[in-house]
Amino acid sequence: MKTIKEINEKIRSGDVVVVTAEEMIGIVEDVGPEKAAEEVDVVTTGTFGAMCSSGVFLNFGHADPPIKMLKIYLNGVECYGGLAAVDTYIGATQPNSDPDIDIDYGGAHVIEDLVAGKEVELVAEGYTTDCYPRKKVRTTITLDDINQAILVNPRNSYQTYNAATNSRDEKIYTYMGTLLPEFGNVNYSGAGQLNPLQNDYNRKTKTYNTIGIGTRIFLGGGIGYIIGEGTQHNPDNAFGTLMVKGDLKQMDRKYLRAATIPNYGSTLFVGVGVPIPVLNAEVAKCCAIRDRDIEVPIIDYGVPRRDRPVVARTNYEELRKGKITIEVEIDGKKVEKTIKTSSVSSYKMSREIAKELKDWILKGEFFLTERVDVLGKGSAKPMKSDVKLVGEILSKPPIVAPIGITIEEASRILIKNNINHLPIVDEFGRLVGIITSWDIARAIAQNKKSIEEIMTRNVITTTVNEPVDVVARKMDKYNISGVPVVDKENKVVGMVTSEDLSKLVGYTNKW
Amino acid sequence: MKKRIYLWVPSENVHKPIISNAILNTKININILKAKIEPQEAFLILELNGDEDKVNEAIEYLSKYGEIEEISKVIKRDEEKCVDCGACITMCPVEAIKMDDDFSVVFDENECIGCKSCVKVCPFKAIEVDDI
Ligand code: SF4
Ligand code: SF4
Repeated sequence: MKTIKEINEKIRSGDVVVVTAEEMIGIVEDVGPEKAAEEVDVVTTGTFGAMCSSGVFLNFGHADPPIKMLKIYLNGVECYGGLAAVDTYIGATQPNSDPDIDIDYGGAHVIEDLVAGKEVELVAEGYTTDCYPRKKVRTTITLDDINQAILVNPRNSYQTYNAATNSRDEKIYTYMGTLLPEFGNVNYSGAGQLNPLQNDYNRKTKTYNTIGIGTRIFLGGGIGYIIGEGTQHNPDNAFGTLMVKGDLKQMDRKYLRAATIPNYGSTLFVGVGVPIPVLNAEVAKCCAIRDRDIEVPIIDYGVPRRDRPVVARTNYEELRKGKITIEVEIDGKKVEKTIKTSSVSSYKMSREIAKELKDWILKGEFFLTERVDVLGKGSAKPMKSDVKLVGEILSKPPIVAPIGITIEEASRILIKNNINHLPIVDEFGRLVGIITSWDIARAIAQNKKSIEEIMTRNVITTTVNEPVDVVARKMDKYNISGVPVVDKENKVVGMVTSEDLSKLVGYTNKW
Repeated sequence: MKKRIYLWVPSENVHKPIISNAILNTKININILKAKIEPQEAFLILELNGDEDKVNEAIEYLSKYGEIEEISKVIKRDEEKCVDCGACITMCPVEAIKMDDDFSVVFDENECIGCKSCVKVCPFKAIEVDDI
């Protein structure tokens, strides 16, 4: 048994033994956890990846005459205005308020610019009161001009993160990066055997050995603290998270980087390193966790639902090999597929962070703290919200037409039923194309004779189990106004149009 | 060896089967990476594979019918911006990007065909590809 006080004494006297979590694996393997606990005092961990839930509290000091800021922009990125007169919180994922700038410059980029010492434009408006007569302020500031800049991440440093793949026949853009069609790649994130929470996790008790409120850490190249469990903290499933804070003024751009996930948005890559005091053999044993011991579910992000299907289960060792062979279902058939894997967080940087923290401790620049309390139990249950499925808004039987129909007949069906879309089916009722009133108008103008010549063959479809929001997005994306609903055999069971959806929205949008 | 070239072919030679002839005459392997044929001129990007003599022979042959410029480097990575995440690796159709044993992401300039798939996915805009 060792105490943190004793370890700090050793740091002071220069006798401390510090290893990274990677190095600890070999040590425990060689000499066993008891001996390892005697020999090693501190294990350092590290992780570096996208941490969307990042942001900075800023205090600008008072203007003359004073202003009570309400709408606040830094380089065009809106900050939260509901704090006191000259305080704000800027979130990493806040997009730029100027639509021309797109998602390439958001809150994370403002934070990086501040850390880099660049000038940032502050524009704010307020409502006037007796003590705050000023309505507007516009100025440029740097990090030095700001009183406090405190990075506070309500949730970061996920213990494990799901790997992502995509079953759809189109490319999709997710917060896990770009996912190629038909299981074209698997993207994963996380430092695995170097991850702070992973190394401190006691698998039997499902609690953390040493990490808690008040643990001093490496944060973005400066010193930070764990201030509690993060949001969605879920230790029961080895999905713990941390809430952390640190002084932005100490931080280094190398370990705090703004990123833009393509077609998704801005986010901040944050470097976190946590020292684990090796107090006993139990702690030592947990620090010896290897990539292959950490299970990672591969989730199908192609299903735009909360409960996305688990395609397979693997571990970080397999994922880091760059290729993985799993069984997937394509067109209803189960096939073995070898899929390339990409990390979207940096293992190399995680290593550097663990090493940097080790150096700080060895040089006597960083001392460990005793936690003042353990992390809370947390909760990661889903939101209580309704989901409306396509099946619920289908009432009438579908109006379809066989492939042999003439253009005149098709137009008569459209007029008689007062509809704009006519799915064309084969003899078994399976969808083969779609005709709109616009197609018919064009057919007449261009003197086309047969349905087959004018129908759209590549039909965007939906199913009864798809949420209406997903269909609405499809219509928007492909600029269409009607989507046939098909069953597993591709038989048409109904039709959803933009009118159906706007009726629904008009009905449910009560606020 | 592998060599990548730009080839401009003037209008009087556009209709001649010069690529097929280059292949037939020199037995070289030619990969057409890009081809834009217009009435006044054709523009191609070719990848020539074979031993050095053959490649030079092919270049000599092709230069009789058009103007040639060698492409040395297509891809540029900003080492400062890159964090070695690896998000670009699976996007590359020719496996020009790999992760080495130190978990550094390495680019093989000779393999890159300039498709820009990696450019589009990099969260840090660390990659630039010369327009070809
Ligand atoms: S431009 Fe295309 S070929 Fe070149 S490295 Fe990037 S993905 Fe690979
Ligand atoms: S995606 Fe960008 S940052 Fe990541 S390894 Fe590739 S070049 Fe580097």
